Amino acid sequence: MKVHVNMDICLLHGQCVIAAPEIFSFDDSGDLHWVEVIDDSQVADAEAASDACPEQAIILG
Amino acid sequence: MTQDSLVADNLPYLDISDPGFSIRSSEVMNAREASWCARTNYGLAVLRYDDVQKLLRHPKLRQGSYRWPALNDVTGEFARWWESMLLSQEGDNHARLRRMANPAFSPKLITTLAPKFTELATMLIDEFAPKGECDFIAEFTEPYATGVICELLGLPFERWRELADIAAEMGLALGVTFKKDLPTIEAATKRLFDYVEELVEARRAAPKDDFIGMLIKANEDKSQLSDQELLDMIVLAIFGGIDTTRNQLGLAMATFIEHPEQWALLAERPELGRAAVEEVMRVRPTVTWVTREAVEDFTYNDTPIEKGTTLHLFSQSATSDPRVFDDASFDITAERKPHFGFGGGAHHCLGHFIARGDMTEALKLLSQRLKNPRFNGEVEWLPDSGNTGAIRMPIAFDPA
Repeated sequence: MKVHVNMDICLLHGQCVIAAPEIFSFDDSGDLHWVEVIDDSQVADAEAASDACPEQAIILG
Repeated sequence: MTQDSLVADNLPYLDISDPGFSIRSSEVMNAREASWCARTNYGLAVLRYDDVQKLLRHPKLRQGSYRWPALNDVTGEFARWWESMLLSQEGDNHARLRRMANPAFSPKLITTLAPKFTELATMLIDEFAPKGECDFIAEFTEPYATGVICELLGLPFERWRELADIAAEMGLALGVTFKKDLPTIEAATKRLFDYVEELVEARRAAPKDDFIGMLIKANEDKSQLSDQELLDMIVLAIFGGIDTTRNQLGLAMATFIEHPEQWALLAERPELGRAAVEEVMRVRPTVTWVTREAVEDFTYNDTPIEKGTTLHLFSQSATSDPRVFDDASFDITAERKPHFGFGGGAHHCLGHFIARGDMTEALKLLSQRLKNPRFNGEVEWLPDSGNTGAIRMPIAFDPA
């Protein structure tokens, strides 16, 4: 599965980092990074992150 | 609290604990023009949009309202709960509790809940509409906000009054008269915990697959969710969901009464319901400030901020900031930058999908059924800072 974040609407709340810390992370300067291709074992976490995003900026597909 | 390094600065000063202080006063607007922040009796008030946005999730700041009881020199059961519940936690503990609660508040739920919101709003409006007048708080926003929580918790709607009274009395803790109201707040807190304990016992005996059921299941492993955390979380859902929505819908009505053409427009174009919620929360948020606390010394905008300093991020001041909003007047058709009515960052409001969904359905329906609404007597308000809203709002309207 591919993971994408629409940075035009992302407000860097970091809810994805809380929901799925193995996929999403902040670096020291506060920028968001994510694993772009995940395996089946991570899909549930990615969906939890996508649901938890207040701006609904995470696209899975 | 010592703010020696700041006293030297020429920052404006706002006495925000004065019950007469208004978050919407010209005093605040003047301070916003003079500086990005003002000194207050609780620390700093941050006044401009860009600074509020940055400081909401600044790495040197943590959520700050965990100290609200201490700042008011208050201890007791409310303070114990407040300081240990989800909103006051940070780091791993916060993440564990938040991950546990998230699924019960997912946007997928809204699709299934929306018809229930409409049904509830219709039932309440049918009760008072033929009269052409009502107390909008007692007859609509309070039973509606509480009814939504009853739905979420799997409680019969008939129990709404009990919960609404408790939430309103506990809610006094978030106002600037916290200490004065402490006996009422403590009694309400005890009633709510008794209520929730009884509820959990009943659910253990007859399990259901809902928010409480999910928490009870997690509580089977005490290291995942302790008995106290289980109760604290349910109390938070009740407390956090009722008072805020009750107040925000009252503020919505007051705003629309002052802008009748916008109310008529919403009635004509119900698809603007969601935008109406966002615009109301921009101009009249019930949560008038979001609190942060410095976890170490740092400098921001050339201002030294000492460890332990409280920062109140003024949401309404930020989202009427002329630097960002050319025309900040109330307009439900305008494209706006995001407001801060649900806070932001790690502590962004957990229930916001539900709140947005229930307020959208309510405003759509109200605008169609209550034409030409106007005040019909004295509106009784909470202080215009802290968590604000109306306690009583007599209105008249033309039923449709």
